Amino acid sequence: MERAAEEKLGDRLVADWVSGAHLRFASDEARGKYQARAQLIIDTIRLEDTGRIPVIPAATQKFAFDYGPVTFREAMTEFDKVFDAYVRQYEDTDFDAYVGPEFIYPAGMFEALRWNRVRLPGVHLPDDKSFQFVEAEYMKAEEYDEYLDDPSDWILRKYLPRLSPELEPLGQLPPLRNTVTFFQGLTDLVVAAAENPGLVEAVKALQASGRAVQEWFDYLGRIDQELGGRLALPHLLGPMAHAPFDIISNYYRGWRGAIVDMFSRPEKMIALMERLLPWQLQYGIDGARALGQPIVTLYLYKGADGFMSDEQYEQLYWPTLKKLILGLVDEGLLVWLFTQGKYDSRLHHFKEIPAGTCLIHLESATDAGLAKEVLAGSQCIEGNVPSSLLATASVGEVEAYCVELAERCGKGGGFMMDFSAFLDEAKRENVKKMIEVARAYRGGGGTGRA
Amino acid sequence: MSQALTDAILGMRMDEAVTLAKRMRDGGADPLAIIAHGSEAMEEIGRRFAAGEAFLPELIMGGEIMKAVTSEVMPGGTGSAETDSRGTVVIGTVHGDIHDIGKDIVALMLGIEGYAVHDLGIDVPVEDFVAAVKEHDADIVALSGLLTLAFDAMRSTVDGIAADGLRDKVKIMVGGAPVDESVRAYTGADGWGNDVGHAVRLAGEWTGGGA
Repeated sequence: MERAAEEKLGDRLVADWVSGAHLRFASDEARGKYQARAQLIIDTIRLEDTGRIPVIPAATQKFAFDYGPVTFREAMTEFDKVFDAYVRQYEDTDFDAYVGPEFIYPAGMFEALRWNRVRLPGVHLPDDKSFQFVEAEYMKAEEYDEYLDDPSDWILRKYLPRLSPELEPLGQLPPLRNTVTFFQGLTDLVVAAAENPGLVEAVKALQASGRAVQEWFDYLGRIDQELGGRLALPHLLGPMAHAPFDIISNYYRGWRGAIVDMFSRPEKMIALMERLLPWQLQYGIDGARALGQPIVTLYLYKGADGFMSDEQYEQLYWPTLKKLILGLVDEGLLVWLFTQGKYDSRLHHFKEIPAGTCLIHLESATDAGLAKEVLAGSQCIEGNVPSSLLATASVGEVEAYCVELAERCGKGGGFMMDFSAFLDEAKRENVKKMIEVARAYRGGGGTGRA
Repeated sequence: MSQALTDAILGMRMDEAVTLAKRMRDGGADPLAIIAHGSEAMEEIGRRFAAGEAFLPELIMGGEIMKAVTSEVMPGGTGSAETDSRGTVVIGTVHGDIHDIGKDIVALMLGIEGYAVHDLGIDVPVEDFVAAVKEHDADIVALSGLLTLAFDAMRSTVDGIAADGLRDKVKIMVGGAPVDESVRAYTGADGWGNDVGHAVRLAGEWTGGGA
């Protein structure tokens, strides 16, 4: 529901973000350039016809590391080295915004907990391979009711112990809901603690993991200052939330488990998604407020074409996702929807969201021309340049692809140039050509502001 | 009752399918015949999938139901039955990549289509592919990967198969979401696909039976 005249959180965050209120600029020139870029991005999301195509990076991994060079292992452990690699990457390219190493988590965070949902370079994989997540069944089919009844209890005593052997002692605690007073519950809790020396080690592991994350946060802050304050690049990737269906299928039940549930207990799935919805919404809002970032990102996983039928999408995937997006938009926030895989048949749903509030990332499998057609006047689209093309094709081939893409999607605004997926193997000259094509674009009716 | 079993599988009703299968076995039906009924239902799901009338959830759920039915009526497994296959496929996710959804779907679908499928799993070293091609006398090798970093691993796997003198003996397909013709050319494979339909068509063309 639209709120009255009061200023929305998102409006204030947009103003702060565009002004670069959180940055110390190296010069007035850097400030001016930053503000022009940030404004261009906001205007493009809001579907103003700027006559320009901003060019943004979905995320770079090995492509950035090669500027060091650093290995994947070093990127997760030696932050000073990878800091330099990202800075050099952005000095050498001419993007309108940056996405940094927000997904290159610190190895120490996982290692301290022996987190079993991840395979790490230097531990399970060679140093030059990307870390990867393992999708497995961490929640049993019969645990829906337990979760619905007391989610935090399930997370503390079931989920975390399954994810980390270091946290198994948490599973031996009694349910905290019975802790009422000293003669009810507290005695159970303290006796369980006394009988469980592993708890001390579990807390130590949490703290060690936390120290790795603190160090990493500090490094992300330094990157933001350097790339924002000196290189004048607005930061695109900030607060995040998840589609409730993806939480179940990616993190709790795994894809197989989720599929069995789609047929065997859809009502439980829906109940759980409805339970998750307000928490995800609040998480996105709180994150935006904490980071001073008006764009909330949702990576979308299992809703792609072919992953389920339209009917299943409309029954199970879209309803809570839509409510989540609408909730964020109602706060004045903008939503970056990072579709993965082919999304042709789902695009029309984004028209159900107020116009000019979403940025829809397209992988190369999605027909960008179709997306433009379906979403023109409704939502901004970005992406689609195949990572494989950037890795293997000639500069001329990249130019031809990007020129055609710009012509098909740039007209009237509402389009940003970007590659399809995380960039690993790509020729620098190809990435530069992609940027050059976007930079050279001049559509009709520009505002000339940027 | 066999029709009821087929209906339960096509209707995605796992508990009912398992109960029916158990009742058929308890009534003296041959476990292999029960599984054959289930396989017919799976073929129908495969047909619907190929025709765009069913989707991944039906395909995977069908596979899960068949697993449950098989373990109910033949707890010891069905053993190996490759004699009547349309061809032998060795499939796996290449080294350095641990993604398995796409690979699993292709393996499942090729199995439904009548191929003998040997799934080597994820993060498969080159030498394991080479050994499996020899051991199973494979006709087709299917290399899967989701990461662009997998392109090099696909290429080194193709090279490894060639270095062992097996290149002319097998057809090699590369597949995964980021895979296209440029990746096929880069890796030296014979064909490529980025969905399960591609893989099935290629296998059909290569084994002379069509898709």
